[in-house]
Amino acid sequence: MADPLLSVENLEISFRSGGQDIPVVRDLSFTLNRGETLGIVGESGCGKSITALSLLGLVPSPPGRVSAGRILFQGEDIVQAGERRLNQIRGADISMVFQEPMTSLNPVYTIGEQIAETARVHFGLSQTAAWDRAVEMLTLVGIPSPEKRAHDYPHQLSGGMRQRVMIAIALVCEPKILIADEPTTALDVTVQAQIFDLFQELQAKIDAAIILITHDIGVVAQMTDRVMVMYAGRKIEEGPVSAFVRDPRHPYTRGLVSCIPRLTMPPPEDPAPLFEIPGVVPAPRELLRTGCAFAPRCARAVDQCRAESPVLSPVSPGRAVACWQEKESAA
Amino acid sequence: MSATEPPVLEVEDLKVHFPLPGGGAVHAVDGVSFTLPAGQAFGLVGESGSGKTTAALACARLNDITDGSVKLAGQDITHLDGRALKAARRDVQVVFQDPYASLNPRERAGAIVRRPMDLLGVGTPGERDARVDELFALVGLRPDQKDLFPHQFSGGQRQRIGIARALASHPRLLVCDEPVSALDVAIQAQILNLLGRLKRDLGLSFLFISHDLAVVQHLCDQIAVMYLGQIVEIASRQALFTRPMHPYTHALISAVPSPEHVDGGQARIRLKGDPPSPIAPPKGCRFAGRCAHATDLCVTTPPSLRSVAADHAVACHRAEEPEVVAARDALIAAAAP
Repeated sequence: MADPLLSVENLEISFRSGGQDIPVVRDLSFTLNRGETLGIVGESGCGKSITALSLLGLVPSPPGRVSAGRILFQGEDIVQAGERRLNQIRGADISMVFQEPMTSLNPVYTIGEQIAETARVHFGLSQTAAWDRAVEMLTLVGIPSPEKRAHDYPHQLSGGMRQRVMIAIALVCEPKILIADEPTTALDVTVQAQIFDLFQELQAKIDAAIILITHDIGVVAQMTDRVMVMYAGRKIEEGPVSAFVRDPRHPYTRGLVSCIPRLTMPPPEDPAPLFEIPGVVPAPRELLRTGCAFAPRCARAVDQCRAESPVLSPVSPGRAVACWQEKESAA
Repeated sequence: MSATEPPVLEVEDLKVHFPLPGGGAVHAVDGVSFTLPAGQAFGLVGESGSGKTTAALACARLNDITDGSVKLAGQDITHLDGRALKAARRDVQVVFQDPYASLNPRERAGAIVRRPMDLLGVGTPGERDARVDELFALVGLRPDQKDLFPHQFSGGQRQRIGIARALASHPRLLVCDEPVSALDVAIQAQILNLLGRLKRDLGLSFLFISHDLAVVQHLCDQIAVMYLGQIVEIASRQALFTRPMHPYTHALISAVPSPEHVDGGQARIRLKGDPPSPIAPPKGCRFAGRCAHATDLCVTTPPSLRSVAADHAVACHRAEEPEVVAARDALIAAAAP
């Protein structure tokens, strides 16, 4: 098999706080292949969004920094790349769709100008050519009467339309990797479905790889090929999406998959209470202590879990899990 | 619940229009009627702009009512004001979507929960203190957390404070506006279970607003689907999710990404475009422009909400037509595990 498009090796991201370096992402390794969709799942604060930002060299520094590891994009280490080189990569090779289309667009420029700017900067297109390209992108993402709407300002568009504009900006340079951080959380389900259809069409067209960050298990099931679950800055489970949904191995993943209400037809007569994962995610400062970060919330935790961090170990081809108990039962 | 107890909420032809500066109005809610029996949870679902929040807030008299009436536990509250409105508000309280924005950052948690009792004149000062302790225990917070400020709590805990505050005046009806959509999935389960327990143990009634059909199915006994200010389908949980009849309801159900269908096979009905403008709503069926089954009749004549079973009503001219029924059957077949 060819080299992966992206290879993250032993990544550590730290934030300086109170005179101390607090690691928020630790020993994270993963790969991404061309045309593949990788889901990153986890709760707020698990490190999924900061990991995504690090792929674009966007970890806010100070107080944050990549304190160890490499991020190899087609063999080139993004961690070592200078700002000039990063600007060439951003948008052109790797681009990002943020959660909040409302705040990620510039309110004082028309949407046509914002799309055209990206095309001008990266392709050196003329004003007119870049504008034509912007209109073409608006057509592609399914905005009606694109020639007219290109002159609209962000506030004149609905949430779904704004998110399409974000996607148009992200895709105008046909990037090799598209990172989408909760791209549909602010949107209605019907609009979400339209946006994901669009992702899939565009992926098929330009063979882009997608990293989809979400906590919606249904979205993961419908959109991704492979899933990586993060908890407290570490990867705790990884595998094909069907295994993730049908046979999650880490107690945390099991909790995540079973705590959501599921739409069923016909519905249950009297729905049983939902499964609950007790407690809350640990604060970054608490991560400095030893042992499995999930142990305080885990029903199956034993002394070893509290004493020693579990190592990510393969359980079957393409699947790995970081849990002492799981290792026992697999052995 | 005794048979003679009046419904906790009766909404009759409710209209909420927001006038525009240049004339005309946004028809946010345009003729909505429903009845919520005591002890039940009623779900309002629909997309942003469908009017579900506006309708629910009008039931707590937090929006001006343009036309129609709202009865709370048998009492018409549509035109109440002053002291009478305050007294009525004891019976209906609201849990808001954003637990960050809906708590005063400079007030301690205990004071936040006590505030409605002070404002609405519930109990004596001593009773209020005791009630705060009771409420903290009820929603799963520790008594020593009363002295903390909102920023010292997690999102889920903040929502518990919001719920405790809403329960302070012993309301009959709790209006919950997307109470879990700002929370992490693991925390959503904790809060939904808490609401379920309050419904069971306190006999509380809920008006529950959500865009998440799975959440609504989990918690609500009756559900109304709204589109552009109107109810297009209203039914019991069993009826709606066994025999959904409106093409818009079909589209909503099919748009929910299903974890069960990880290997494919989920039915897909894709809506094109956005809902029309609520300033000048279409004169026929408001959904006609996006409906795959629409005919000339749908474009010219608005369908009325008509009863199709004891626990089921739909506003669609063509709900029983073979092609619409076939679309539903395909949806149900695909949903089967």
